[in-house]
Amino acid sequence: MIYLAAYNFDWSVVTDRWRLFVTGAWVDLWVASIGFALACALGLFNALLRTSGLPVLSLPSFLYVQVMRGVPLYVLILWVYFGVANITGITFTSFQAIVIALALTGSGYTTEIFRAGLGAIDRGQMEAARSIGLSRVRTYGHVILPQAFRIVVPPLGNTFVGLLKGATIMAVIAVPDMVFLANELNVTLFTPFEVFAAVAALLVVMVLFFSALVYLLERRLQIA
Amino acid sequence: MTRIYLSYSYDWSVIPNSIAFFERGLGVTVRIAVLSVIFSLVLGLLVALVRMAPGPIGLIGFLYVQVFRALSLYVYILFIYFGVAAAFHIDFDPITAGVVSLTLLNSAYMAEIYRAAIQAIDAGQREAARSLGLGSIMTFATVTFPQAWRIAIPSLVNQFTDIIKDSSIVAVIGTPDLMYQTIERVSFYQRPFEFYTTVAGIYLVMVLIVAQLASRLERRLQRHLA
Repeated sequence: MIYLAAYNFDWSVVTDRWRLFVTGAWVDLWVASIGFALACALGLFNALLRTSGLPVLSLPSFLYVQVMRGVPLYVLILWVYFGVANITGITFTSFQAIVIALALTGSGYTTEIFRAGLGAIDRGQMEAARSIGLSRVRTYGHVILPQAFRIVVPPLGNTFVGLLKGATIMAVIAVPDMVFLANELNVTLFTPFEVFAAVAALLVVMVLFFSALVYLLERRLQIA
Repeated sequence: MTRIYLSYSYDWSVIPNSIAFFERGLGVTVRIAVLSVIFSLVLGLLVALVRMAPGPIGLIGFLYVQVFRALSLYVYILFIYFGVAAAFHIDFDPITAGVVSLTLLNSAYMAEIYRAAIQAIDAGQREAARSLGLGSIMTFATVTFPQAWRIAIPSLVNQFTDIIKDSSIVAVIGTPDLMYQTIERVSFYQRPFEFYTTVAGIYLVMVLIVAQLASRLERRLQRHLA
């Protein structure tokens, strides 16, 4: 194999196409956000099953969490996109597949967060609300969930950051995110260092921005 | 056009026929994960010590943790295997690129685990050791670290489960690990559901074994403290 004497750094590849990179980063952010929203909904539902006290409901919920946290995201994506598609005949778009995979993997974490949050609310709150005549559903809506909310927000924020990082794997099923676009550029122009450094920098900026946001929220929500 | 099949005929016989490939892949996966966890444990401790140093040195440690934690393994692997390799003429083999990536990412996580554990040790321990005449290095090695290590171990072992899961991504650069072998078998047999379900199960079992180990260690270490 013949190596070139020196690698010519050409950052104009990145600076001339900064819009393309931003567009790609935007895709990552969107996909992570939708996946996260679904993961929260699934996680809350699962946590309620888990805390129901009925083994028929709580056991499947427990197993679900173990499985979702134990299977790599990469495996889940291919399982959804190729595996499930193959046996059911439902052809997911690659965009749908990554969102589903993120929602599944994220819900493993959000379930545990909601469970801990709900568990941290004193039993007396439930008893007091029930004894003044609130129904179970209204007690959850007006008393338990608002209090649990401030406990769960910081760890949920961290889960979002984790999903944002994980979302970059979507390029393997050709969702045109920033990594996919960088790869395309690399194939045509052969500038791997510049394009992947740009992607890395964008990811660091996004992750640090949201981490800082979570940190500030955490301080705001702390109960004095 | 969307069609929904009402009956898919499963063929699980492809799995036992591929045992040899799973074994080969599993060997590579375990090797990558174990090497990465060992390197991360050492590098993470160094970073934690740098991070806790006063002044500009501590700032370097802080930046290392913030930046190296913020990247995903996929981006690491592409950047190192293609970017760094081309720019600096380093001919990484895929396994090395995978181990380097996993080590950089996880050393940043582990540094924070170590730091939290070291800071949890009462300052009186260090002061007592120093007043007995131990040097600062001896104090750290014989008094602070052995106690901090106990606190850190369960979290460090849990980090190992993330390494195992993340290691699947090395397949994208053709490392013949468990995931790569599975993808190869899928393209051979055209049975994605059977294969990906099986490989999900294999990763799950590995993760559960390590997690079990972590909780056992935790209980045992707490028994000593009681």
